[in-house]
Amino acid sequence: MITIAIAKGRMQEDALALLSRSGVRLSEDALLSRRLALGDESGNYQFIFVKPADVPVYVEHGIADCGVVGRDVLLESEPDLLLPLDLGIARCQIVVAAAEPDVMTKDFGMLRVATKYTHVASNHFGARGIPVEIISLSGSVELAPALGLADLIVDLVETGRTLRDNGLTVVEVITESTGRLVVNRASYQLKAPAITALINALNATINGAAHA
Amino acid sequence: MRYYIGSEARLRRAVEDAAMSVFDGWCYEEVITPTVDYYALFEHGMGQMEAQRAFRFSDNDGRLLSLRPDVTSSVARAAATLLSERPRPLRLCYAASVFKQQQQSHAEWRRESTQLGCELLGPGGTIADLEMLAIAAEILSRLGLQESYCITINNVEIFNGIAAHLDLDESSREQMRQLIDTRDAAELRRFLMAYKTSTAERDLFARLTQLTGKREILNEARRVITNSRSVAALNALEELWTAIESVGLQDSFEIDLGDVSGLDYYTGLSAKVFVRGAGARVGRGGRYDRLTANFGQAEPAVGFVLDLEALTELVGRSEVSLGGNNGREVHVIPARDVSVTFATAQEKRAKGERVRIEFS
Repeated sequence: MITIAIAKGRMQEDALALLSRSGVRLSEDALLSRRLALGDESGNYQFIFVKPADVPVYVEHGIADCGVVGRDVLLESEPDLLLPLDLGIARCQIVVAAAEPDVMTKDFGMLRVATKYTHVASNHFGARGIPVEIISLSGSVELAPALGLADLIVDLVETGRTLRDNGLTVVEVITESTGRLVVNRASYQLKAPAITALINALNATINGAAHA
Repeated sequence: MRYYIGSEARLRRAVEDAAMSVFDGWCYEEVITPTVDYYALFEHGMGQMEAQRAFRFSDNDGRLLSLRPDVTSSVARAAATLLSERPRPLRLCYAASVFKQQQQSHAEWRRESTQLGCELLGPGGTIADLEMLAIAAEILSRLGLQESYCITINNVEIFNGIAAHLDLDESSREQMRQLIDTRDAAELRRFLMAYKTSTAERDLFARLTQLTGKREILNEARRVITNSRSVAALNALEELWTAIESVGLQDSFEIDLGDVSGLDYYTGLSAKVFVRGAGARVGRGGRYDRLTANFGQAEPAVGFVLDLEALTELVGRSEVSLGGNNGREVHVIPARDVSVTFATAQEKRAKGERVRIEFS
């Protein structure tokens, strides 16, 4: 039995679709239920649905053998996990955005950066020697510049619509993010045949989709 | 922070005793090293990156001290100094707590853990490596985990040979190491495209770093890895595998060419210990022939450590009994006349019984 942790939200639907095309299916009933732990049709897999930031936690502790989670989450928490596959789903970018695009070059005072990604943001600005004050928020980050809480934000952008609607423009792309398969290091050894089979099946689906 | 009380503490001690008695059976002498030592020792012994995780503080004269983050550094120094005149091989073992800082989010996060470990100094080669692995296997069997453990082995010189062959600079070498370490096959293939490699070579190499298996892994590796340094390491690994087979341990061992986590520390064999039921590895070891040179006397050395707390938890969840004085009868003696009570108690205890004085 392999336990797979799936990040709830943006990633969930794409991840389940990809797994289903790779032969790991949840029944209709299961999908409609609101239970957070479900078995697949074959009985070989168990799914747990948790908040994105908790996926690496469950997998690192070996409660889940593997997980599907965005690269943005992994960059933020830097868990000690295997990353055998880029699933190519839920593609987006982590960007620096501002109301006034020239804010970064205008003056050299301390910039205030509002973000959910405090670790990514401080690494990014730290590596460039740009002095910033990081303000940690847990949501609606796009509001911060308009209300005067911050000069910049660092956030995840899929289409850019939310940014535009809140009068923000992208100043810099920090990195790309897609859904990744993550695997616990011990499970990789102790459940090698089952994990390898899952990786191969997903890999075949991804490459098949790329060629089609 | 973790307490062990009563039966838990007894179990933990029984696990420790089981390991120490296996070490004793192989003629390893116990060594007790200082808990507090100069930070410089661990910088020399573990490398700067690893040593940084130590808890540090300063002595009266301003020199930097540290709670020991490992035992091996201290053993290596003693081997090169205090014990330099002793005949080789030198066989030393310990059960000692080590202290490390780690990000709280991580599964292996514990400030304090206890290492059950041993070091074999003097001999190099396959038989010394096998002795280490056989001891680890015997401890795990003694704890009733013989069906549920898996020890992976690799030789770090395979990677080092490839990195040298591709003429990688330090940062590219580290980049390739990370891609192998996290089993990121697609990125690894992309990385290798910048070097003179064919598509077939890249595919095979990327697959190799993802697979773990038995002897057949080595045959596949030989098809794509041809530089002399790596080939010598593959030969050494094959010789060790043959030795593992000849003592009948092959079912519990796997070859894992993707284990590249201790490259700057190990010089040959690198091993990791996994047990079903534990979410993270419970031990690791390998050969570090350059280590004692840091303390003035170069000699081959190999060793491993197991995590006492992780093993205790696994044994506690299993049905295996490690003995202990749990079953011995208890005599309850009412506390009345002091001289009678204590005399009776002494008499009972002299016969090996347990007594409990009952206060009214």
